Amino acid sequence: MDMEVWRLRISATQRGKLISAGYTSLSSLSSVSPSDLARDLQISENDASEILKAASHCGRLDNSDQSHAIVTGAQTAWDMLHEEDLSRRITTSCADLDNILGGGINCKEVTEIGGVPGIGKTQFGIQLAVNVQIPVDFGGLGGKAIYIDTEGSFMVERALQIAESCVEDMLEYQEFVRKKFQACQVQMQPKDFLKNIFYFRVCSYTEQIAVINYLEKFISEHKDVKVVIVDSVTFHFRQDFDDMALRTRLLSGLALKLMKLAKNCSLAVVLLNQVTTKYSDGSFHLTLALGDSWSHACTNRVILYWNGNERYAYIDKSPSLRSASAPYSVTGKGIRGSASNSKRIKMT
Amino acid sequence: MISLREMAPLKSLEREFAIIDSNFQQFCASHGLFSVGDFLIQDLCVLVALAEQHPTSERLKEGITQVLSIIDSQHQPWFNGMDLLEDAQQNKHILSTGCERIDMFLQGGLREGHVTELVGPSSSYKTQVCLQVASNVAKMGGVVFLDTGNSFSPKRIAQFLISDPAGKESDRKIIQKVLASIVCFSVFDIFTLLDVLHQLKSNLKYQTCGQVRLLIVDSISSLITPVLGGSGSHGHALMISAGSFLKRLAHEHNLAVLVTNHMVGGEGGVLKPALGESWKSIPHVRLQLSREHGSNLCSMCILTHPYMGSGKAVKFSIS
Repeated sequence: MDMEVWRLRISATQRGKLISAGYTSLSSLSSVSPSDLARDLQISENDASEILKAASHCGRLDNSDQSHAIVTGAQTAWDMLHEEDLSRRITTSCADLDNILGGGINCKEVTEIGGVPGIGKTQFGIQLAVNVQIPVDFGGLGGKAIYIDTEGSFMVERALQIAESCVEDMLEYQEFVRKKFQACQVQMQPKDFLKNIFYFRVCSYTEQIAVINYLEKFISEHKDVKVVIVDSVTFHFRQDFDDMALRTRLLSGLALKLMKLAKNCSLAVVLLNQVTTKYSDGSFHLTLALGDSWSHACTNRVILYWNGNERYAYIDKSPSLRSASAPYSVTGKGIRGSASNSKRIKMT
Repeated sequence: MISLREMAPLKSLEREFAIIDSNFQQFCASHGLFSVGDFLIQDLCVLVALAEQHPTSERLKEGITQVLSIIDSQHQPWFNGMDLLEDAQQNKHILSTGCERIDMFLQGGLREGHVTELVGPSSSYKTQVCLQVASNVAKMGGVVFLDTGNSFSPKRIAQFLISDPAGKESDRKIIQKVLASIVCFSVFDIFTLLDVLHQLKSNLKYQTCGQVRLLIVDSISSLITPVLGGSGSHGHALMISAGSFLKRLAHEHNLAVLVTNHMVGGEGGVLKPALGESWKSIPHVRLQLSREHGSNLCSMCILTHPYMGSGKAVKFSIS
């Protein structure tokens, strides 16, 4: 006999009561009334009808053979390919990096950006929060941003600076385009960019979990959010944690929630992470914080590092992109192409 | 109302078997028997003796016989070795992975009826191998891909197909045909996984054309880790029920099942597969992947295999 009741989304206590009362299969629950079940399990009638609701949900799924899909709601890879072709990516403002990323940061994916302190992780976070708002006419997404700040490193003056540069760039582009085509007007002001960044400050790991749980509701009310930035995702989990098993559970649950959010709301999740040193094979390596089980929590991983005096970004992990690196620089305007490469970019 | 408590399963038999009437149920309840299962641990001689003291002893004994025959009817039909061999040879095909070196290494590829696990640290090409196998198997049958990390990439699959020596003209048609026979579904918790697996089971019974040959879960460990551990055996039981259901699906519907598992730091910082000891017995085949940093060269090592020695390894690259 199958212990089918394992499939029900009910509490472990109630499941235990079901099993010890002999209700192990879904069919045993199909013809029982809430009041009978409540009596047999010695629970409230409300709880009993919740259990029966969960059971009938599973029962319905099993008998869905009328539909042609092998799994209800599944998509063929062919349809997904078309969807992907239509989706826009968030530019990083660095042409070389956009190139190796296939156009920028992708929606429906979780991208982790890691690096040593001072390499420009927060700069990337702010830049993306601004760039996601570039209007569709200018090749952007016309979206809004959520910024979850765990370390207090978000600087609003810097965001304003980057937004001003973004508006300047758009005006320049507008001049350039006007000569050829019809005008597309820059209507956004730097202040509008700041208004469209929803900022959450998080001071403990419970607050962090709470805010990520809340995001689904928040985004259902602000449907044009296209990027969620967590700066940094690991900060609160690196201190004051004795129970490592609990930490693994919490983090892996958190990772799945972010994956779900990215997929279901068609938005990009960008996680900024710190780097630690790790000793293996007789030498020290830089690895991202939180260890081996967390390293599976992202779809793509970009590592920022110093190469001499230049900053580089390296694609460390991606299901669809090749490993590659590209130089970038942090300027007064924000993230830009590398200074030594800038001439080449202008010419092409 | 103690006599009525926890009697549901016997009660549920009432409609089907007249002999299991309320009198019989009350007799059972008074001796602590509420479900069919309770009969398994009861001393039946004592029970019959108790029944004989009752005024309705004949009917009660008939009831006991009925319950015992219900228990007997629970067993599955038997097969002999030749039946099993015939099933293996006729129904359990070997699916090529699309990577020549892996195929040679695994004596042909992935076996239908087997649950194969790829285990390895982050970016050790687990997903790449999954996508490669999916692209190859989809040329001749259906593939179901359950994705937990938003890493299913149709673009990458198309790349695998184009590198085939095929004419440019027909490329697009081939890609369309192959991609149309792969369905992908995102799964973000273990309950959804169980729902999908049950749904698959009931739909596979009816499938006629475009037979599903391969089921991929990438990654199974990210669904299980959030429920595992802590107090209580709840998460553990969910893990085992998902694992054994995968094995059953593989066997009954001649599916090759491919799952991925990550690695965690064990004693002394040495990496070991996640999910612990009791998961170890679920996959038929466990293959460990590792990749040299910054290179395309990857190695696959056998951890468990039903008829091949563990420890053997092969190097391969994915273009």
